[in-house]
This record gives sequence, structure tokens and C-alpha cells, in this order.
Amino acid sequence: MAKDIKQIAIYGKGGIGKSTTTSNISAALVEAGYKVLQFGCDPKSDSTNTLRGGEDIPSILDLLRDNSHVDAHDGIFKGFGGVYCVEAGGPQPGVGCAGRGIITAVELLKQQSIFQELDLDFVIYDVLGDVVCGGFAVPVREGIAQHVYTVSSSDFMAIYAANNLFKGIQRYSNAGGALLGGVIANSINTPFQRDVIDDFATKTQTSIVEYVPRSLTVTQAELDGKTTIEAAPDSEQAGIYRSLARKIAAHTQSKVPTPLSQKELRVWSKGWADHLIRAERSTTQAAA
Amino acid sequence: MPINLKSSVVESREQRLGTVVGWDGKASDLAKESAYAYGAGGGCGKKARKVCELHGPFTQGSVCSEMMVECQAGNVRDAVLIQHSPIGCGAGQVIYNSIFRNGLAMRGLPVHNLRLISTNLREKDMVFGGIDKLERSIRDAHARHAPRAIFVATSCATGIIGDDVESVTTRLGQELGIPVVPLHCEGFKSKHWSTGFDATQHGILRQIVRKNPKQKQEDLINVINLWGTDVFRPLLGELGLRVNYVIDMATVQELEQLSEAAATVTFCSTLSSYMAAALEQEFGVPEVKAPLPYGFAGTDAWIREVGRVTGRSEKAEAYIQKEHARVKPLVEELRKKLSGLKGYVSTGSAYAHAIIGVLRELGVQVDGSLVFHHDPVYDSQDPKQDSLAHLIENYGEVPYFSVGNRQQFQFYGLLQRVHPDFIIIRHNGLAPLASRLGIPAIPLGDEHHALGYQGMVNLGESILDVLAHKKFHQDLAAHTKLPYKRAWLEQKDPFVLSRPGAKRSDESAA
Repeated sequence: MAKDIKQIAIYGKGGIGKSTTTSNISAALVEAGYKVLQFGCDPKSDSTNTLRGGEDIPSILDLLRDNSHVDAHDGIFKGFGGVYCVEAGGPQPGVGCAGRGIITAVELLKQQSIFQELDLDFVIYDVLGDVVCGGFAVPVREGIAQHVYTVSSSDFMAIYAANNLFKGIQRYSNAGGALLGGVIANSINTPFQRDVIDDFATKTQTSIVEYVPRSLTVTQAELDGKTTIEAAPDSEQAGIYRSLARKIAAHTQSKVPTPLSQKELRVWSKGWADHLIRAERSTTQAAA
Repeated sequence: MPINLKSSVVESREQRLGTVVGWDGKASDLAKESAYAYGAGGGCGKKARKVCELHGPFTQGSVCSEMMVECQAGNVRDAVLIQHSPIGCGAGQVIYNSIFRNGLAMRGLPVHNLRLISTNLREKDMVFGGIDKLERSIRDAHARHAPRAIFVATSCATGIIGDDVESVTTRLGQELGIPVVPLHCEGFKSKHWSTGFDATQHGILRQIVRKNPKQKQEDLINVINLWGTDVFRPLLGELGLRVNYVIDMATVQELEQLSEAAATVTFCSTLSSYMAAALEQEFGVPEVKAPLPYGFAGTDAWIREVGRVTGRSEKAEAYIQKEHARVKPLVEELRKKLSGLKGYVSTGSAYAHAIIGVLRELGVQVDGSLVFHHDPVYDSQDPKQDSLAHLIENYGEVPYFSVGNRQQFQFYGLLQRVHPDFIIIRHNGLAPLASRLGIPAIPLGDEHHALGYQGMVNLGESILDVLAHKKFHQDLAAHTKLPYKRAWLEQKDPFVLSRPGAKRSDESAA
């Protein structure tokens, strides 16, 4: 009952591969014998799809919309390897307040002490966006997650989102909030991409936990409604996810990152953009 | 499910107890639908504690959880309450100040004003976050009043923007060396304001009550009440017990010692449910599980249980005998004067159950009652606290028993069904309507007025008093008009607007 539950939040820009990465981490952790709950914090409610054969589950907020009393058990579903899946849910695009939705859903599970009851080893929050408001910061705050990871590609917009997240972490770090476990570098296939993300990590005094290349195996598995761990357990990609999960499981000390200021970030990205243009020009000239 | 003090946010009443704010029928049917042994669970859902709720199309009058925090945490004498909200949430400060000052005077305590501060959140704060203002207000409160504790009430506004109140309260609590207690009481979170009582009590339990009391005070008894006159001290003094009145008008030190008492009692389980159950769960302070102390049956059972729990049964029996001998003849006299009269009770839930009992002891007929909400179970989950079943078993059926959140438009029809000679109220908004129907109201602003043996005599005399000016109300009725259309005035069913679309609380709203 009193065992420590490792609570982790994974943030990143929409479409960057957050849910894919998170679900594969969850799948690798249950495969390794841990008890895991994945908590999707995205109004689209599709974080845990690939853990459940592509099947949708009713979200906590769906239940709350229809009932005055919600038993948290009704919002928890088992997926691949016994992983527990929860979707916070939220309003339709353009209405209501998705941030408040996350607060409400997280509170409800906390009040019912459900994580202790399920005797979990890991709770992994898969959180949309780049901490746009107070609601999306909830998993970072005191008493929820201890470690935060950000999924980012070398794409500048993804890096902006990661930098924003670092600002959020820095803000809450004094008040006992979660600290940064590191950057999960996603869709890294070329040395150039690797250099960009490495440099960002150095500048913000954080580290890269794992480099995950873009892979057709992942796409195929997802189209099949599965994680790579489940669909292609022997693939190289599955091996990478397992390695990532092992590192996250073994990780103990997180840090406060040092985000770049708006201006620093602009200068930094311009530097890399110029570099990229020069490189492309020389390739074009060589081809001509 | 036990009370969870680990989470800083209290669970709402509908989550914990299955609270409803709309229901209409016979009292015995409501008791059966509720979760206690009387009806053995059931209700219309698959789980117990799901009473079939009537959903009205609109709400005409109610209050909000945050206001209950104002009149509880805001009434702790040596604390300050900060309302972290737009200024509008502070609109109640004026009325609450008058109640507070009256309460202090009635209790013989030094009279002073409430210490409530609003952070006055504005557009800019909604966009950029309000915690800097909160920090400044906490520092101001500390400098200005040197309080023993600072409470911070959240608001709908801060709840929606997800303002991180706790980062400030935790940090400043450490820095200032006093409890700085966040109370999460966003009005939108619960359809019934009594969740605000629970929010205050949750914060006090988490941050003020002494966690590891060195010694128990075996003659101290916690009394969870409001501003009522000091009737518990003489009453419990007969048993050799000292009274610790909480939360209103208590000091922080009195709140700290809640965990050291021999037992906890109350005048109304609606108010005390959360605190009393949590004190038992967390600190082993027993909650006296008995009917509320009203009427002969309730008071007898209550005093006996207090005597048993605190090891003072002999004294309890002696007191019961003495009071029976004193009060019975008085009640007999009153019964003669009051027989044939019809009363109507419109108050909070558990309190109404108790007051109907008192009226029936006095020989007054009670055919109907409106309560503002209904808790199908209290936090202790103990059937001995089933106040509604106690009423029915000891004093019989209430044929027109309604649950509604102070809806004046319904109140007209409710009174028309039973034509009472007077109504009993504790809250505003209902007496003016009754007056315009020629029906006088007895306002029990002092919630202890009808409590215990003497309470029966008090209430009987109040009825005689109010009936003495019945003519005034009849004159009012003759010269005023109600604001409703004829169709509504002729409507027989006050809940008609809730019925066509009436849906069960466990059904989809979609």
C-alpha cells in the first residue's frame, strides 16, 4: 500500500509523437513486469488507443458529464499486458476549457486514491501541448508527477514547445513541483537533426534520454491499433523503446532546466537555420 | 469510502454522499431510496446512494460553496480569510459581518468585524495569473492583523485558470510560521453549497488540527455549530463536560484541540458530517452517533449516547429524569394551546427532520416540508445518524416532503398543497413570499433555539408569539399580488417543470 509510485509526465507539441512514445514506454514497462497506468491528458482522448487495439474508451470527463457521481473505476480500462488506461477527455474544439478538464479529471482520481488501490509502480501522464495555461501545468505541480520528460524533434516549433515546458518547470521547481528528467529526441534520423537537438539540450543544461528514429514499423503498428512493442516486438524500434523505458525506470535525479529567453531562442534558431541553408546550398551546387 | 485528507481538494457532496437538490414525494419514500438500513440501499441507480433526482430547468435562488467558507473559515476569531477572487465574491461580507457580530454578542465575546480580504482579481489577473496578488494579500493580512492562521478561499475564476494557489500558501506558511490554508471551494464544483462546509473543514483538518496530541482532554466535547446562543455549555455541563465550540467564532487554538476531545456532537449533521467523521477516522475522537438532540425521543437518545461515549451514563440519566419532570408539564400546556395548528418547515436537511419532530411533540400538524438538499447518507455511514428515518419512526409520515434549493416559484405551490398556519425558516428569500400568502414565518436565526428539552418550550412559545401577529400578514396578503401568471398560480404540481424531462441522476444527459 505504502510503496512509492513513480509518477511521470510526458509533454510535447501536438503531433510530435508523444502518445506513440508514451504508449510504447508503458507497453515496455508492463512487459518488464511493472504495474503501469497511462493517463491521457488531451481532449482528443486518443493517448491510449494503441494500448487497446485502437479502441476508444469513455473518458473521465465523459463520465462526469453524464453522472453526478463518478466512480473512478468506471474510467479505468485494461490494455496490452494489463496496462491501465485512463483518458481525461475534454470539451469539443473551440468550446469550454480543456485546462480545467485536466484539473477536474486529475483531482477525481487523486481523491479516490485510485493509484494506491491499484498498487501501481508507474503513472505516466501524456499531456498535450506546451503548458499553455494553469490546467496543463497540473501534472507538473506538487504532489502529482515527480519527473517530466519532453518529446521533441529537431523541428524548431517542437523545440519552442519544449523550451516553454522548461519555463513551466522552472516556475514550479521552488514549490516542490516536478523536475526535468530529460528530452526524448524523436524522429532523429540524420546527424544534422541530432546536432540541433543536442545543442538545444546543452544550452538548456538538460540531457537527451534517447534518440528515437522515425520508423515505418511504428506507422504500421499504429495503423494496426498497436504499439510497436506489441506489433513488432523483435524490431529494432521496439528495442529502442525498451531501452528508453529502462532508462526512465532507473532514473532517479531530475533537474531544473535553464530555458532560453525568447530572444536567445530566436538567435539560436536563426543560427541553425543559416547553417541549414548553407548546407542545402552546397548540396544543390554540388548536384548542379 | 473513507475521507481522504491526502488530497488538498475536498470531494464534493454529490461524489461522497450522493447529494440531491431536487425530489418530491413522501418522506418515507425518500428514506427508503436513501442508503441506510431503513431502505437497505436501493434507489434508482445500480449502486446505493443514488436517489432519483428531479432536475429543474432553472434555478431561482441558492448560495455557493465559497459563501459557506466565508461564514465558517471567515468566522474564526483570530484568523483572516482571503478571498482569492474577483471582488463580486465579497458581496456577502456585509451580511456575514452582521451575523458574526450578533453571534459574538450573543455568546458574550468581544465584538469585532470580520477579517476578510479580497484579492480583487481583474481581467489582467485572469490572463496572467493571480498568485502574485495573492502573495501580496497574504503578506498584508499578516502585517495588518497578525493572525494565528490565514485561510485562502479559491473562487470559480481561479479554479478555471488553474491558479497555483498552493505554491504560494505552502511557501508563505513556512515563511510566516503560521498555517496558511488553501480552501478549494469553487462554486461550480458542487450543486449544493454544503460542499463549502466540507471544504473549510477539510483545510482545518489538514493544516490546523493538532496531528499528534500529547494528551486527550477527557472532559472536552467538540460542538460543531454556527452562531447560536450558548445552550450546549449548560446542557453538557450537567454531565461534567466542557464545550469546544467550532468552527464559527472559535479561535485557532480551539480548532487545534479538536483532536484532543472525548467526543464530537452537533446541532445538525448537514454541517458536521465531514468534520465529525474525519475526527473519528484520523484522531479516534468518537462522533456521537445518535439522533439529533430535538424532541423527547431525540434528546433522550442523544444524551444517553453522549453519556455512554464519555463514560458519564449516570449523570446523563439523572439529567434526563430531571428535565423530563421539568419540561413535560410545560409541553403539555403548550400542546393544549397549539393543537389543531399546521406548521411547515423549510430549512436545511437534517435540521428540518429535527424541527418537524419538535413540532409534532408540540401537537402541531406538519403535512409538508421543503429541505434545500438531501444527503442519502452521512460521512460516518452509520444508520444511527439517519435523521429522516428517526423522524418517520418516532413521529410518523410527512406526506409532502420536498427537496429543492430554495426555489421561490415552487414554494408558492408547496404551501398551497398544505395551507400551513406558519412556516419555520432559517434562510432568507422564503418568508416574504409566505407573508404575501398571509402566512407568518418563524426565523430560527439562533439555530439552538429549538434544541434539547428546553427547545420544545422555546419553539412552542415562538409559535404563539408569531401567531399573535397573524393579522398583519393577512393584511399583507389582502393588499399584495404575487408576480406569477394565473397558469402558474393554478398549477397543482410545484415540480411540474422538472417532471417532463425528469431524468435519473445516473442517466445520460446527452
